[in-house]
Amino acid sequence: MEAARKKDAERAPFSDYDYSSFYHGAGDDPVNILGPFAAWYQEALQAGYYLYSEPLHSAPSTRVLVENGKTGQLRELLNLASYNYLGISYREEVKAAAVEAVKKYGLGASGSPILSGTFDIHRKLAQAVADFKDKEASILFPTGYSANVGFISAIMRAGDNIFLDQYSHASIVDGAILAKSKTVFFRHNNPLDLERKLGRCTGKKLVAVEGVYSMDGDVCALPEIVEVAKRHGARILIDEAHSTFLFGPNGRGVAEHFGLDQEVDFHLGTFSKSLGGQGGFVCGSRELIDYLNGFSRSRFFSCNLSPILAAGLLAGLKIVEEEPQLRAKLWSNVAFLRRRFAEEGVDIGKSTSQVMPVLVNDDAKVFGVAEKIQEGGLYLQPVTYPAVPKHKSRLRISVSAAHTEEDLEQAVGVIAGVLREQGMLCR
Amino acid sequence: MSITRYGYRNAISGFFEFPTENAKRLLPPHLEPLEPHHGTSIFSLTAFEFTESMVGPYGEVVASVIVAPLIREGERFPKSAFYPYQVGTTTQAARDHAIERWHLPHWMEDLEVAFSQGGGEITVKVAEGGSPIAEMTIAEHVASPVSHLYQCFMHNGNGSYMANITMEGQQSEHEDERGRLTLFEHPFHQGLVIEDVADLPFRELWMRDGQQLFDPLLRLGSA
Repeated sequence: MEAARKKDAERAPFSDYDYSSFYHGAGDDPVNILGPFAAWYQEALQAGYYLYSEPLHSAPSTRVLVENGKTGQLRELLNLASYNYLGISYREEVKAAAVEAVKKYGLGASGSPILSGTFDIHRKLAQAVADFKDKEASILFPTGYSANVGFISAIMRAGDNIFLDQYSHASIVDGAILAKSKTVFFRHNNPLDLERKLGRCTGKKLVAVEGVYSMDGDVCALPEIVEVAKRHGARILIDEAHSTFLFGPNGRGVAEHFGLDQEVDFHLGTFSKSLGGQGGFVCGSRELIDYLNGFSRSRFFSCNLSPILAAGLLAGLKIVEEEPQLRAKLWSNVAFLRRRFAEEGVDIGKSTSQVMPVLVNDDAKVFGVAEKIQEGGLYLQPVTYPAVPKHKSRLRISVSAAHTEEDLEQAVGVIAGVLREQGMLCR
Repeated sequence: MSITRYGYRNAISGFFEFPTENAKRLLPPHLEPLEPHHGTSIFSLTAFEFTESMVGPYGEVVASVIVAPLIREGERFPKSAFYPYQVGTTTQAARDHAIERWHLPHWMEDLEVAFSQGGGEITVKVAEGGSPIAEMTIAEHVASPVSHLYQCFMHNGNGSYMANITMEGQQSEHEDERGRLTLFEHPFHQGLVIEDVADLPFRELWMRDGQQLFDPLLRLGSA
C-alpha cells in the first residue's frame, strides 16, 4: 500500500489525459466522476483549456474583441475561428431584417413548429432554401445537430443498417444511436472499406457522408461512394454543413460540385456555417418533407427557430444568390492561404476547402503553440484528442470571404513564426 | 505482497475496432467495453518480450477488450483499463506464475512468440507448434520516456479482481494506421469473431527497455 500511496501522490501531466478519460466514474453514484474530472479540468484550464469558449464582445467579423480566458482582459484579434464563411451574419441587410422581425414578431416562436410555432417567415425561408437547392421542398430544424438527429431517427429503424464515415459529426452518430439501427463505421473517405462492409449486410441501408469534413477540411469522395452505395442498394445522405452555399456552380454544395445532386437521396445542411446564423434543414421531395414533419422528433419537440433568425437567414440567402462574387472571393482567399502556407512549410494536411487545420501533431505542445499564436494577435482554437486522433492535434482555421489578403498574410506571419520557433515547420 | 516487477525489451500493443456485441460476449457482466464509436469496441493485442521476472525471461501475448476504467477521486487516474480474456506464454513457469498470482485466463500450451524489427517497424508472430495464431506489426513514432498507470481486470469463478499496472519505458504511440494484424483460425481466439476485427490498428503502442510493475491484486465486490 505504501507503494500505491506513493504512486497516488505522483502527478501525471494533464496532457496524459483528456475528456475521454473521464467518461466513467467508479461506484454506483453518477456524480462520482465529477471530483476526478474537476481536479484534472482545473489544471487543464490553466494549461490552455482556457482558450476554449473565451467570450467575444463583438460581432464574429474578421476582427473580434476577445475576453482572455486567463486574464479577463479584452483584446482585438484577427478572427480565424468563426464559421461565417461568407461574412454574412453581420451584414447590414441581415441585421436590418432581424431588427424588423423582432419588431414584428418579438423574440421567439413560442411554440413547436407543428403547433403554434410556424410563422409566415418560416414558410418563406423553407421555400427559399428548397428553391436554392433546386428541390421540391425543405424543412427547417432549430439546429444543424437536430436536423441530422431528427432526420436519421425519423427514417431508420432497429434492424436497419447505417454506414458512417469514421469521422462523422456527432449529430450523425447520435441520429444513428437514436434510430437504434446497426451502426457500421467505414474508414474515412474510403469507398473500398465501405464496399467491404456494405457487402456483408442485408436489409435497409443508409450511407451517411459529409460534403466537407469539419476537422480536416477534406472533401468527400462522393463519386466513388455514390457508385459503391448504389451498387449495394443503399440510400445516401449528405450533410453539407460546411459546403452548402459554397461549393458547386450555384453554391448548392459538394453534390452539385460533382454533378451528383440527383444521385444523392437526402440533402442536409445548416445555416450556422456559411450564413453565420443558426438552424438546419433537409431538402427533398414533398413526400419526404411531409414524412419528416410527422416523424422528426428533434424538430417537433423543440420550439421552432426564432422568427428573428428566420428573417436574418432569408436576407442572408438573398445575398448568397445575388452576390456569387462572395464565393469567388472565398475560393480566392483559400487559394492564397494554401499557397502561402505551402511556401512557409505550414502543414495543412489534406484540406482542400475553407476549413484548414494547421497540424501541430503534438498533444502536449498544442496549447502552448495556441497561446503564442493568440499572443501574436490571432483568434483560433486548438483541437486535440478525442476530437481528432492522438498526436494529430491542430489549430483549426476557418477562412472567410471577408478576410483580406492582408489579414491572411498577417495570419501566415504569426503562425509560421510560432511554428518556426517550435521547430514545427515542414521544411 | 509487494510490487511485482517484470523487465522487458519490447512491449507492443495494437488497438483494433470490433463490434461491441462481440466485446460484450467476451466480458463478464460487471465490465463495460469502451466504445470509440457507437456500436464499436476495442480489441487489443499486446505482446511482451520479457527479459527478467521471477520466472526468468519469457514471451507473452495478451488478447484483451478495452473497458471503462475505475476513476476515483484522490487517486492517480489510469490511462486506460483492459480485460484480458486470453493470455499465452512461452513457458509453463510463466503461465503458472500468472495464473496463481493474477488469476489471468491462459492458453495452457506453450506458444512461440517471435519478434523481428526493421524499417521502423516491429512484428510479432505468435504460433503454437508451428500453427500460426496471430501476426501483428506496429510502426514506430517518436519515442519518449513515460510512466503510465493502467488497470487490469480479472474475473474467475472465485471473484472479480483488479490490478494497477504501471508501464515504464520509452514509448512510441500514434494513430497513423501504419500497422497491421492478421488473426489466424485457431482455438486461441475462441469467442472472437476474427473476420469482424479490423486489420488496421487505429492506435499503435511500442514500448522499449522498460518495466511493468504490478501492484498487489485487489478483490472487487462479489463474484
